[in-house]
Amino acid sequence: MPTLRMSKIDKQFFGKMANEQVDFTLEQGEIHALLGENGAGKTTLMNILYGIYQADSGCIELDGKPVSIKSPKDAIALQIGMVHQHFTLVPTLTVRQNITLGLKSKGYPFVNGKELDRSIRTLSERYNLTVDPAALVGSLSVGQQQRVEIMKVLYRNARLIILDEPTAVLTPQEVESLFIVLRRLREEGHSVIIITHHIDEVLAITDRVTVLRAARNAGHVVTRETSEEELSSLMIGRKLQKIERKPLPFSFASKGLQLDSIQSKNGPLGPLSLSIPAGSIVGIAGVDGNGQKALAEVIMGIRDIESGTITLDGKPLQHLSVKERKALGIGYISDDRLKDGLVLDMDVRDNFLLSSYDKREYTSHALIDTKRVQQATEQAVSSYAIKTASLSTPVRYLSGGNQQKLIVARELGDQPKVVVACQPTRGLDIGSTEEVHSILLDLRSQGCSVLLISSDLDEILTLSDKIAVIYQGTIMDVLDHDKVDMTHLGLLMAGSKTRRSV
Amino acid sequence: MELVVLSSFLAATVRMAAPIALAALGETISEKAGVSNIGVEAIMLSGAYFSFWAMFQSGNVYVAVFAGILGGAGASLIHAFLSLRCKADQTIAGLALNFLFLGLTSFLFLMQFGKTTTLPSITVLKPVALPLLSNIPIIGEALFAQDPFVYVLYLMVILLMVFFYKTEWGVILHAVGEAPRAADTAGIKVHAVRYLACTANGVLGGLGGAYLTLVKLGFFQENLTGGKGYIALVAVILGRRNPLGVLIAALVIGSAEALQIRLQTLGSTIPSQAFSMLPYVVTVLVLMLSMGKGHDPAALGLPYERDKR
Amino acid sequence: MKRTILSFAVMIIVILLVSFLLIAMVGSDIPTSLASFFRGIGGSTYAMAEVLVRATPLMLAALGVSVGFRTGFLNIGAEGQLYLGAISITWLGMTFPSLPAPLMLVLSLVLGFLSGGLWALIPGLLKAKFGLSEVINTIMLNYIAINLVGILVRTSLKDPTYPYPMSPMLPASTNFLHLLSPTRLHAGLLLALVCAALVYLLMFRTTLGFCMRAVGLNARACQCSGIAVSKYVIISSLISGGLSGLAGVSEIAGLHHRLIEGISPSYGYLAIIVSLLGRNNPVGIVFASLGIAALQVGSMSMQRSSGVPTSIASIIMGLVVIMILSRKSLFRCKEA
Repeated sequence: MPTLRMSKIDKQFFGKMANEQVDFTLEQGEIHALLGENGAGKTTLMNILYGIYQADSGCIELDGKPVSIKSPKDAIALQIGMVHQHFTLVPTLTVRQNITLGLKSKGYPFVNGKELDRSIRTLSERYNLTVDPAALVGSLSVGQQQRVEIMKVLYRNARLIILDEPTAVLTPQEVESLFIVLRRLREEGHSVIIITHHIDEVLAITDRVTVLRAARNAGHVVTRETSEEELSSLMIGRKLQKIERKPLPFSFASKGLQLDSIQSKNGPLGPLSLSIPAGSIVGIAGVDGNGQKALAEVIMGIRDIESGTITLDGKPLQHLSVKERKALGIGYISDDRLKDGLVLDMDVRDNFLLSSYDKREYTSHALIDTKRVQQATEQAVSSYAIKTASLSTPVRYLSGGNQQKLIVARELGDQPKVVVACQPTRGLDIGSTEEVHSILLDLRSQGCSVLLISSDLDEILTLSDKIAVIYQGTIMDVLDHDKVDMTHLGLLMAGSKTRRSV
Repeated sequence: MELVVLSSFLAATVRMAAPIALAALGETISEKAGVSNIGVEAIMLSGAYFSFWAMFQSGNVYVAVFAGILGGAGASLIHAFLSLRCKADQTIAGLALNFLFLGLTSFLFLMQFGKTTTLPSITVLKPVALPLLSNIPIIGEALFAQDPFVYVLYLMVILLMVFFYKTEWGVILHAVGEAPRAADTAGIKVHAVRYLACTANGVLGGLGGAYLTLVKLGFFQENLTGGKGYIALVAVILGRRNPLGVLIAALVIGSAEALQIRLQTLGSTIPSQAFSMLPYVVTVLVLMLSMGKGHDPAALGLPYERDKR
Repeated sequence: MKRTILSFAVMIIVILLVSFLLIAMVGSDIPTSLASFFRGIGGSTYAMAEVLVRATPLMLAALGVSVGFRTGFLNIGAEGQLYLGAISITWLGMTFPSLPAPLMLVLSLVLGFLSGGLWALIPGLLKAKFGLSEVINTIMLNYIAINLVGILVRTSLKDPTYPYPMSPMLPASTNFLHLLSPTRLHAGLLLALVCAALVYLLMFRTTLGFCMRAVGLNARACQCSGIAVSKYVIISSLISGGLSGLAGVSEIAGLHHRLIEGISPSYGYLAIIVSLLGRNNPVGIVFASLGIAALQVGSMSMQRSSGVPTSIASIIMGLVVIMILSRKSLFRCKEA
C-alpha cells in the first residue's frame, strides 16, 4: 500500500489551472522527485498536501485512509513536514526558538532552554545535522538555515518530508552533504519528496520520478530505468534547444566596465575588483548571500561605495546617480522583479517608460505626450512578443515570463553599453528562458558588457565567457569558460583559498 | 524643601504617565503581533466614557472598571475586524474609529446626562499607600502612594516582561509579527493570535481611559482624551516595544505634562498654550533623537494572507 | 457587478437606519428632523451656499491630502497646515496693511501655500531623510499648530482694542471677493475648483505627477529605476501642506477676516475622509467634499430645529468609512 496517494487533484487561481487532474503516489521509504519546469504546478501540488492551499477537487489518502488537510497544523499532525524554497524561519529568533516554535514542551508556557537544547542536540546527532541552538537564525548561512528547516520538520516527528527546490541555494559540496542527509533519512524510514527542475539531481539521488508539465501529469518513471533525454522530453514536451555561445571573432574598442578595489559602505562587499570587457558575458557564480545583490546595486548606484572606482570605458561612475548611470546606457535586471523592477498597479505603458518619462521625446509643453508613449510601448510589445490583454492592463496581471520580458524590453532595448542581469530567468518557463538567453548573447555580439549573476550554474556555464566566483563580498578567482573544473568551482564557491588571478 | 518639590513632581509625573503607559502597553502587544492601531484615542475615549457611566449608575468601582475594559475592547475589536478580516489600511481604520468614537461618546454622554449646567461627576479613587515601600525617601511617596491603577500598571509591566521574554507565548507573538508565514507553517493560528493581541490592546487602553475619569478628573466631557492616544503611540516607539522601555518613555512624556502644570501654577504672563504645547514638542524632539535605532516588526501593518502568491 | 450594487445599497440603508435610530434615541421626531436636515442644505439659496462655503476648505485640504497619499506620504497634519496658512495671512495683513489688493491677494496665496507647505515639509524631510513615520509627526504638529494660534492671538497677533484673544480685523484688501449676497459664498470656492483642475493636471498629465504616483505605489522599484524617491516625497509633502495652507487662507480671507481660535472644526481630519471617499482623485474629491459639507450643514440645521446633537455627523462619518473599508470583504466582491 502506498504511503501517500493524491488522486485527480484540481486547483485553479483566478481562472488559470495550476493543477489539472493530477495524480501522485509515494511509496514508503523512498526518495521521490516531482520534476517539472517553472510553472508546471509542482509547488502548488505540494502546498495542497501541506495544507497551505485546498484543492478544488480530488482526494488525498495516507496509508490507504482518506484525509482532510485544511492547514499546516493538520499536515503536521499527520506527520507531514515541508521545507519551503523560501525559508520559513524567523530571523530575529534563535535556532532553538525556531525549531520549537509553537510547540508545547515540558513546563509550557515557560521555556526550559536547557532541556530543549539537549533534545535538539540528540536529534541532530542522529541525523548528522550540526546546528547551534543558540545562534540567531538571521546570522546563519543559507546552507545552515536549510539544516535548521530540516531539523524543524524532524522535531515534529515528520515521517513524510517534502523539500522544495532544496539545492537552488547550495554549493556543489553542500548539495553532496544534503544528499548524505537525505540518504540517512531514507535509512531511518522517512519518505522524501523533492520538488526540482534539475534533471541531474533527480538522476543522482532519487528512486522514482513523477513529471508534471503545464499543470498535468506528463509521465512517471523509475530513476534506474530512465535517462536524461527521456526526462527532459517528458518535462518540456520537446527537445531541449542547445544554446550556442560561439567565441566572437572581433574585439571592441571600448574598455568595458571595470571595478577596482571597491568597498561598500557598512557593507558586504570588498575589496572587490572585476573586469567586464565589451562584447563579453562575465558570469558570477556563488552561493546566494555572498554579495551578489550588493555587487549589482553598487554598479547601478543604488548602493554607495566607500572607496574604489567603477569606470565605464574609462569614465568614472562612482559619483553619478542611478539616473545618470542609466542615461549612460547601463541596464539593470533585478533578481526581484516584483519588488525592484515593476510597479504592479501601473499599466504596461507606465512600466515600460518608468524612468524615461522626463525624456524630451515623451513630453510636450511639460505634459506627457500620450501618443508617443503609446507608439513606443506598442513597438516594444510587438518586438519582444509580450503577451498582454492591452497596454492599459496593470502589470500585475501579466504572467511572470511576460513581466520579465517587459523589463528586458525596457532595460535592454535601447542598445545598452552595460547590462547587469540578476537571476534573469528565475521562475520563467523554458520558452521564455531561451528567449532571454538569446537576447543576452545578441547584446554580447553588439559589444555590450554583460554581467550575469545567477545561482543556476548551468546558466552561468552555458552563457559566460569568463566565470568569476564571489565569496563573502570578494572575487575568489576568475575562470576561463574552457578551463572550468566543477570540483574546483565548488571549492571556490565555498571559500577555499587559491591563487588569485584576475 | 527642594526634596518635597521633587517628590511631588515625581508623583505628578507618575500620575500623568499612568494612562499613557497603560494604553501604550496595550498597543505594544498589538504591534508586536503586527497590527498597528492609530485608534488608541478611540479605545481610551470608549474606556473613559463607559467607566464613567457605569460608575455614575452603580457607584461600584469594580463594575466601572469592567465597563471601561469592555468599552475599550469593543473599540479595539472593530479595528481588528477591519484590519484582519477586511484587510483594510490600518491607519485609515484607526482614524475612522477615532471619528466614530468621538461622536459616539459625545452623543451618548449628551443623551444620558442632557445639557445640564453642572458637570455630572463621580468621586475619584483615593490613593493607597503601600506599607514600607511608600516610606522610601523621595521616590517612595511618588511611586508607592498612588491610586490602585498605578499598581496595576506596575504589575502589568512585570507580567508582560515575563510573557514576552520568558514564555513560549511571547515567542509566538514575536513570530506572528515578525514572520507570519513562518508562524503559519509552524502550525500557529496567525489570525487568532492577532485577534487576542488586539483584545489585549483594548483591555489595557480601556483601563487607561478609565483612569482619566475614575482617578484623574472625576467627570467626562467631549474629547476628554485630547490626543493622549496619539501620545501613547509615541511611547510605544520610544520604548522600542519593550514593556519596561514603554513605561520609561511614558514617564518621560508624563514629566513634560507635570512640568507644564508646575510652570502654569507658578504664574506668568505667558499664555497657557505655550505650556500645553510642551508634551507634543517633547515627543517630536524625542522621536527625532531616537531615529535609526529600534526595529519595527517586519510584518507591522501588513495583512497576512496565506494564499498570497 | 450585482454584488457591488447590492453592497452599496446595503451601505446606504444601514446609514439611513443608524441615522434614524440616533435621532429617535434623542427623542426627536424623525420626519421633522429629516425635513430640517434637507431644508438646511437645500431649502434656500442661503442653505445651498452654506454647503458650498463649508465644502471649500474641505476641498482644498483634501486635494492636499490626496497628493500626499498618492506619493505614500500619509498627511494627517492638514489641520495644522491649515492653521499655519491662516496665521500667515493674518501676519501679512497686520504687517503690511496698505498693500494694494491685487498684490495682497497674490502674496497671501503664496505665503499661505508656503507656510502650510513648510509645516508639512518638516515631517516630509524626516521621512525622506531618516525614514521616520510621518503619521505621528504630522499629528503632533497639529497640536503644536493649534497651540501656536492660541499663543499668537494672545500676544503678537492680538487685537489691542479687544480683551478677547483674537487678531484685529484684517484690511479689506485681504478679502476674497464676495460672490453672492446675502449668502456667505466667497471666491474661495473658485480657488478650490481651480486647484482641483491643477491637481488633476499635475498628478495625471505631468512627469512630476507620474513620478510621485510611482513612488507611492512602489518606492523601491523607483529607486532601482533612477527616480529619486526622497526628492518626490519632499515635493509631495510641500504641495500637500501648501494646499491645506490655502484652505486656511481661504477661511480667513473669505469668511472670518480675522484670526481666532477654532476656525477649523476638524477640517484637516475631515479632509482625510473626503480624500478617501473621493478615491484620492480631484473629481471625486469635489463631490465628496460637497457630500461631507452637506452632512455637516444639515446636521447643524437638525440641531437647531430638532435638538439632534451634531455628534451624529461624526458617528455617521466614522461609520461610512468603516463600511467602505469592509464592503469588499463583507460582500465578497471580486473587484479589481
